[in-house]
Amino acid sequence: MSAPEGGTVKKVPTYCYQCVAGPDLLTVKVVDGVATEVEPNFAAAEVTPSAGKVCVKAYGLLQKMYNPNRILTPMKRTNPKKGVDQDPGFVPISWDEALDTIAARLHEVQAKGPNDSSGYPRIAASFGGGGTPTYYMGTLPAFLASIGPIDFGFGSGQGVKCYHSEHLYGELWHRAFTVAPDTPNTEFILSFGYNIEASGGVCGVKRHADARARGVKRVQIEPHLSVTGACSAEWVPIRPKTDAAFMFGLIHVMLHEQRQRLDIPFLKHRTTSPYLVAPNGFFLRDPATRKPLLYCLQRKRAVPFDTPDTDPALEGTFKVSGIEIGADDDAWEHRLEKVQPAFQKLLEHTAEYTPLWAGRICDVPHKVIRRLALEFLDHARVGETVEIEGRTLPYRPVAIALGKTVNNGWGGFDCCWARTLMACLVGALEVPGGTLGTTVRLNRPATDRALSVKGHPDGFMDYPMNPTDKAGWLAKPDVRNANRTLIPLVANSPWSQALGPTHLAWMQQQKAPEHWPQATPPDIWFVYRTNPAISFWDTRQIEQVLARFPFTVCFALTLDETNHFADILLPDRTDLEGLQLIRVGGTKFIEQFWDYQGFALRQPVAEGQGDARDFTWIATELAHRSGVLGKYVKAVNRGAAGVPLQGKNYDFSLPEEEAPTVEAVWDATCRAASAEITDGAETQGLDWYREHGFRLAPFPRVKWYLYPAIEDAGLRFELPYQERLMRIGKQLGRRLHEHGISWWDEQLEEYDPLPEYKNYPELWEKALERNFKVDIRDYPFWAVTTRSMQYAWGGNVGIQLMREVAENVGGHGGVVLNSGRAAELGLADGDLVEIRSPLNVTRGRVVARQGIRPDTVLMVGQFEHWATPFAKDLELPSLNKLVPMLLDLTDSTGSGADLTRVSIKRVGAKR
Amino acid sequence: MTRYVMVADLERCVGCQTCTAACKHANATAPGVQWRKVLDMEVGSYPDVRRAFVPVGCMHCADPPCMHVCPSTATGQRADGIVTIDYDLCIGCTYCAVACPYQARYMVEEPNQAYRKGRMRHEERRDEPGRLGVAQKCSFCVDRIDYGKAHGLTPGVDPEATPACVNACIASALHFGDIEDAQSNVSQLLATHKHFRMHEELGTEPGFFYLWEDA
Amino acid sequence: MSVGGKPWLQTHWDWHVALNFVTGGSGSGLLLAAAVAGLAGLPLKLPALLGLLLVGGGLAQVSLHLGRPLRALNVLRQPGRSWMTREAWVAGPLLGLALLTALLDSALLGVPTAVCAAAFLYCQAQMLHEAKGIPAWREPRLVPLVLATGLAEGVALYLLVLLFSGSPAAQLTTGSALLLLLGARLYAWYGYRRALAGNAPQAALAVLARAEGPFAGAGHLVPLLLLAVAAAVPSAREALAALAALAALLSGWGLKFAIVTRAGHNQGFAILHTPARGAGTGGIGSKPGW
Repeated sequence: MSAPEGGTVKKVPTYCYQCVAGPDLLTVKVVDGVATEVEPNFAAAEVTPSAGKVCVKAYGLLQKMYNPNRILTPMKRTNPKKGVDQDPGFVPISWDEALDTIAARLHEVQAKGPNDSSGYPRIAASFGGGGTPTYYMGTLPAFLASIGPIDFGFGSGQGVKCYHSEHLYGELWHRAFTVAPDTPNTEFILSFGYNIEASGGVCGVKRHADARARGVKRVQIEPHLSVTGACSAEWVPIRPKTDAAFMFGLIHVMLHEQRQRLDIPFLKHRTTSPYLVAPNGFFLRDPATRKPLLYCLQRKRAVPFDTPDTDPALEGTFKVSGIEIGADDDAWEHRLEKVQPAFQKLLEHTAEYTPLWAGRICDVPHKVIRRLALEFLDHARVGETVEIEGRTLPYRPVAIALGKTVNNGWGGFDCCWARTLMACLVGALEVPGGTLGTTVRLNRPATDRALSVKGHPDGFMDYPMNPTDKAGWLAKPDVRNANRTLIPLVANSPWSQALGPTHLAWMQQQKAPEHWPQATPPDIWFVYRTNPAISFWDTRQIEQVLARFPFTVCFALTLDETNHFADILLPDRTDLEGLQLIRVGGTKFIEQFWDYQGFALRQPVAEGQGDARDFTWIATELAHRSGVLGKYVKAVNRGAAGVPLQGKNYDFSLPEEEAPTVEAVWDATCRAASAEITDGAETQGLDWYREHGFRLAPFPRVKWYLYPAIEDAGLRFELPYQERLMRIGKQLGRRLHEHGISWWDEQLEEYDPLPEYKNYPELWEKALERNFKVDIRDYPFWAVTTRSMQYAWGGNVGIQLMREVAENVGGHGGVVLNSGRAAELGLADGDLVEIRSPLNVTRGRVVARQGIRPDTVLMVGQFEHWATPFAKDLELPSLNKLVPMLLDLTDSTGSGADLTRVSIKRVGAKR
Repeated sequence: MTRYVMVADLERCVGCQTCTAACKHANATAPGVQWRKVLDMEVGSYPDVRRAFVPVGCMHCADPPCMHVCPSTATGQRADGIVTIDYDLCIGCTYCAVACPYQARYMVEEPNQAYRKGRMRHEERRDEPGRLGVAQKCSFCVDRIDYGKAHGLTPGVDPEATPACVNACIASALHFGDIEDAQSNVSQLLATHKHFRMHEELGTEPGFFYLWEDA
Repeated sequence: MSVGGKPWLQTHWDWHVALNFVTGGSGSGLLLAAAVAGLAGLPLKLPALLGLLLVGGGLAQVSLHLGRPLRALNVLRQPGRSWMTREAWVAGPLLGLALLTALLDSALLGVPTAVCAAAFLYCQAQMLHEAKGIPAWREPRLVPLVLATGLAEGVALYLLVLLFSGSPAAQLTTGSALLLLLGARLYAWYGYRRALAGNAPQAALAVLARAEGPFAGAGHLVPLLLLAVAAAVPSAREALAALAALAALLSGWGLKFAIVTRAGHNQGFAILHTPARGAGTGGIGSKPGW
């Protein structure tokens, strides 16, 4: 250890929120003003689920800060031509010139009006996924809020790289933008490609390690033996994209072989299982109240679902009268019609989905599927309860987790439905030990899942669907990805645009679909912490579109593949150089459910490098120069920087007429945060937070679970039968057809009340054959990807340390191929191969491993950089270049999957 | 008597390399030099495959072959079992490196520089010319241990007295402590788990234990 | 590097070190041969000088490639344990005595020189054996092989000296001695290979397997044939004998380079068990690359 001889040493607390599995608290050792070491924040050991530790990515922050490849002054492009093959000719300019150039453009936009001829916002902005850039961009949100409508619909991979179906259906069914096992309490986890050990951050890794020590059984069902598979009790190598069939097989066993072991009271009273389904597929309703009916076994007649003291029938056929309300208020009256409870429909629907059927599809022994269904039931402890902070709750220590690709694209709906249904069948949804949601982003308020529970007249939770009725449907999209027009489920929260279908925004820049306006490029595009030219799919197409954007402003760490097309580069202070206070704790993404909540400060640990500026300074200057200072400060005061500056007993609002300093903004924010957390009793400012780093107050554990809120509101989970979705789908179809649009018809088919399994692998194969005129047999491998803990979200491909340590983890060296299959093909470990999909080709070295299916190849992370210093020398393959953006492969939620078919050809020997 | 040892719980380790990175920070090691690292090992053949993550580094053997061969007496062993290198004595013959069956030793001739374009500020600030051209390896963060003991702290328990890799381990897979103390954390872990040591047949008595199953 | 845990070729000891083993072995072997021959009145001065140069030159060049050459004398600090220290300690008297032997052309001084040379050669053999991290080196049967190699190369060199200095005497005896020592070297080689089978990484064994043909053939069969023909064809005797000696010499050098620089695969990593993960059970271990 190097001892700083005679030097001054201090440890500066700050946070790392590079990925959604954060934030984690840390300290930085600073010797004579130079940051030298990242360390855990031991002071937070007892109050954070990460025990005050940070993951490997945080250790890259020193090289990020002191990186010799950093852009340290504003730059402007001198070559007006844009293209991969064009040298941008960036030259340094002053901050004044950079900001004035941007401000002039903003003035132009303001003069022309906020929307262009197509009706789309003239200003667009893209930030990295998961909202994490927000934790580094200071008051930029306040600036964005003050300059008018912004198109956030150009994503950076959302829809494919996120848990897309889960985000939408999770929010619908249990306010679960992200879903997680109650790992601290569970006993049994079925994990379908959920790569928690690589994507769960410190909290996820630690909790699962604790769970293993406790004896949890986790079964990893995935085509390759991922890090998470490695850490699981069992690995089941499943054929790619057949997870839905596996789950349907599990459900079949539970419903048709073990029905007596289900949580019948939960199904009767906490789900819509007993709701009667009328002949047209909609609920049978009480003519007077329009409430869905159920059949009461005690009363031997149908009664509205909310009738007290019922014993609803789950099975059987009943002759009942009532009305049925379909799309656009179509109504039918039924008199003594034969109807069945939704549960009976489910039984019939799943009768054919036997383990034998599923096993053949999944290439998994059917005995394994049946055994796992039984084990799930064995561990479910149906009937048991547990007391959490004085409240008695069901205890169901079984959970199901879904990974990406499993819950993206076609089949994602089936998987999300099956997972949530399985939880319902044993009463394990949103209860201790079960499957939980951890955050809300589409419902409001985003700060509290329980408060987002609002009742729908039909007895389940309401949901802020984008309207599909004639009057309310947004026929003309208001942003380039048309999310509100096409995706009712994506809602209209600040997050909705970025959820997409983001690829539609890019695809439409090339060619508008039939009966749809040709999309315009934005006049100004702001980019921060994202690199869509690498992280999207069909990256070549992205590059072509980027070259046509007239004015792109990138906040830039180093040169990269997206800011290669920029007009202005702005160097911001990085993670360890900027100032910002954020909310931490409570329940957040992934497995971040804490026993505390509060605030944490990010602060400069050492002198900032070059002429990089704090984000808040940049935002304030932009607001000032573009003439929106008053609105900007007002937005800050309102809480756009994270904390409202005025509360019941306090007011730290900033004067709207003058540009606040960075310190003034964050001092006021710190004071408001202190006041908020103490009901106005304390008002410590920036200095206090600089010294202590964080401030937390207890968060009740009972709030990890939604069940209490559901129970208190007398509501049900909207499962198994998706009557509402069916109605919305039909309405959406009518609206689109009224406008002559038929290119969304396949997506409309997905609005099934009970999902029917489709041959998903074949769906991919046919789409590729159809669109690229190829014979799929020439592409014998499925190509998939997996998360790299070392790289994911960090924007750290240019960090040497990450490369060095990532090389220790299997798969980071190239394309992973089954050893036996490689030998058959005459390929040796280290051989250079060409990986070709119908769309494009990438190159990489063979990594021969036993832990992967012979019909599958794997490319870790996202690479093949051509502009990012250091990264461009890595010679790593990238799946993104190979995966096409196709409407055929876009599901009804607007998502696709990281999946394609490829061939492998040897082009060179081992180095 | 005291003998400090490392215990790695293979059930917990996820191979994330946080310990690797933390060690590199704590010890300012050169690019490519990893006093602590985690192996990613596959066992078996498809579909009966397992994958294990195995932290390795200097095992601080009770009978260290590196010390026996060292011609300069630079490699030594403390009473608490820690195998040390006196950088001022070492001649850089790397005999120790070929004597170590754990591939734990390195020699670096150039000052740290991760990027061709230039040295970074923290690299310059942490220059250690004395460590160039001599053998280097994991020291069990001996400075921290000595600092901790001087301040009444317990190595392996108090972070200030504990190796950086152990402090950093996000899975709590790495543990450090005195195996001679029956009550210590490591003794308790060894008493409650089945364990093995690597290459034990070579007779070096490594001070690094791997837990693989509950006892 | 860490993925898999397979042994890889060590890079700490490169061709400089290999060269020291080559020159040290041949040089000390030559000094031994010369000392014995000197007692019989055969030429001593030139071989002693050559031996001195080989041993000294090898040590000098390897010292210059230490990480810290200026501290080279620290090599002397561990005579109680380190064979490298012992080699260094022996090297001093050896070089001094060899120089005196050569200068004075003294057969008497040749005796202690020979003792030192033998000790030096033994130190080198033990040095490799004590490199516990390298399975192909630590094998005890490498010691007789290194000894036999040094001696055979020394005698081969001595034969060359005789041939090139035009000394007619004892060529047959020396040739016979060479054949005997080559026999011993080959025996040691097979003993080493047998002992190593299954006790070294596959990659190292493969290197040695590939080395066997050239070593046994060019280093043993060829000299045997050449010397046999030489005995029968007096007119070409000296040329054939020289070729035989050269083949014996170069094959020995080649083998040492192969052992040090190409078969020096390290131990790699191994686990006795894969861990239980949660409710799972532990599994069998692995020693990849073996």
